[in-house]
Amino acid sequence: MSESYAVDVESVTKSFGQLHALDGVTLKVRQGEIYGLLGPNGAGKTTLIRAILGLVAPGSGSVTVLGRRLPNLDVLRQVGYMTQQAALYPGLSVEENVKFFAAIYGTEGGVKEALEFVDLYDRRSSVVATISGGMKQRCSLACALVHRPKLLLLDEPTVGVDPQLRVQFWESFRRMAASGVTIIVSSHVMDEAERCQRLGLIQYGRLLAEGSPSEVRARAGTQNLEEAFLKLAGERQS
Amino acid sequence: MSGHRVAALTRRLLQGFRRDRRTVALLFVAPLVILGLLGYLMRNSSVPAVGIDNQDQGPVGAVVTSALESSPLISTTTISQADGDAKLKDGSLAAYIVFPIDFSQRAQSGVIAPQVHLEGSQPGSASPVLQALQQALASAASQAPGAVRFEPQVNYLYGGSSLDTLDYFGAAAIGLIVFFLVFVITIVSFLNERSQGTLERLMASPLRRGEIVLGYMVGFTLLALIQSAEVLVFCLAVLKVHNQGNVLLIFGIEALMAIVAVNLGIFLSMFARTEFQAVQFIPLVIVPQFLLSGILFPVASEPKVLQVLSDVLPLTYAVNALRDVMLKGADLTWTSLDIDIGVVAGVIVLLIVAGSATLRRRIA
Repeated sequence: MSESYAVDVESVTKSFGQLHALDGVTLKVRQGEIYGLLGPNGAGKTTLIRAILGLVAPGSGSVTVLGRRLPNLDVLRQVGYMTQQAALYPGLSVEENVKFFAAIYGTEGGVKEALEFVDLYDRRSSVVATISGGMKQRCSLACALVHRPKLLLLDEPTVGVDPQLRVQFWESFRRMAASGVTIIVSSHVMDEAERCQRLGLIQYGRLLAEGSPSEVRARAGTQNLEEAFLKLAGERQS
Repeated sequence: MSGHRVAALTRRLLQGFRRDRRTVALLFVAPLVILGLLGYLMRNSSVPAVGIDNQDQGPVGAVVTSALESSPLISTTTISQADGDAKLKDGSLAAYIVFPIDFSQRAQSGVIAPQVHLEGSQPGSASPVLQALQQALASAASQAPGAVRFEPQVNYLYGGSSLDTLDYFGAAAIGLIVFFLVFVITIVSFLNERSQGTLERLMASPLRRGEIVLGYMVGFTLLALIQSAEVLVFCLAVLKVHNQGNVLLIFGIEALMAIVAVNLGIFLSMFARTEFQAVQFIPLVIVPQFLLSGILFPVASEPKVLQVLSDVLPLTYAVNALRDVMLKGADLTWTSLDIDIGVVAGVIVLLIVAGSATLRRRIA
């Protein structure tokens, strides 16, 4: 039953010309799970996330999100998305940006909470063009979760965020997951991978290995994830 | 000053262009398109059509008529005076000239007095008509004995000799300025939406494509309306551009034009990847419209091929409508005005649909 998964990607392929960005990916993420998508640059992480959002149409295969087969516009109401580069309006203040995204998802409340969540409430009147990269990233996260989504897709969310805040982010992610929010995080930072409940290793548009961080380590027979990843990626290549 | 560093900069610049084929193409194709268009327009435009009714019972009328017929400045047809005004109104004639019954008789006594009826709202066509007449009369004068006085009686159907160049162009400029500025602002800011990644975010939200296009349209239209009002007030109150029509009607046509510009901007932004490329649409979109919309050259005098183009450009209809209102005092009871406004409104609907459709699709 696909309903038991928050995200159910079934043998999805997607090509851009000669490039096979997704080459038969099957991915099942349970509700309330924090799932990490790992892989080198250009492995297909972002394309997979965009396929889950319905932003790219799969060449073949199917994507089911929160029990509904894509394409489906309504389901996006319950999905939050944070892009790799902060997607914000530079001419608006932090608060105006968050309010705008709240409004297009039809929820006016939650703006203050979201700003406090990313520790930007005191800087809410700053114009986005004038704040640092890390703050933009945090503002972007606030925009992604202001409507309290049931599924949160984070494309490298902690790039440019300082370690202290990163720890804070992850505590909050865990809290959200405990309350039933499903989170999919793409990353190539191994330290972040450790914090996920389950990992999927992506390379050449395929899912190479899957499992909890300790399972992945055990499978590769290495001490840390970084080595495990390099080993598993290397095996497939040869 | 280091030659190497300067060379590095120059090289980098050219390398960038090498990958941007479209910019290069535009850089070299656009001048040819624009100049070609201008050249074709000027060399092949037909001369103003002039109707002649020679009622003269003497020989002089015939002499002047044949001189007019051979003039390269105008093309002549024989008409009857009774049909003259109707032909001016429907645009088939730019002017008609009547030689009255006593034309020769008065010429004998030294007074040459033809009746000239000009349409009056087309700035480009009056002067060749008067010039051709002047030359033709000079040939007649050589036939008449003694000193002669030229006393042409000139009538204007619309406007009149009191109108100056600004009065003719002001009406059209109101439409053009709003169209141009609103188009540029829209295309650039919609492109920003794309390049700063927020369009991707909007696409991942429950927003529908039509909602995005409409939201943009309303926002920019509000700005454009304020601008339109400003332009109008400045033209009428400060520049004192001649106006015979209803100011609200002018504002309405201007507003429609602004909405066309907004939607054209949204639609064309889909075909540009950078602001740089967007700016390149200006010579391609704005200049031909400027040349072909009848602002400078009457559409009726354009070569037939270009007339077809003029007929599909929305600015042509807007310029025509604005001139009708401001110079001829047209109101909504005029069918020609209703048609012009209807065409512009139709273009808006078409562009909204096209804009929504080309906004990059979600899963098909």
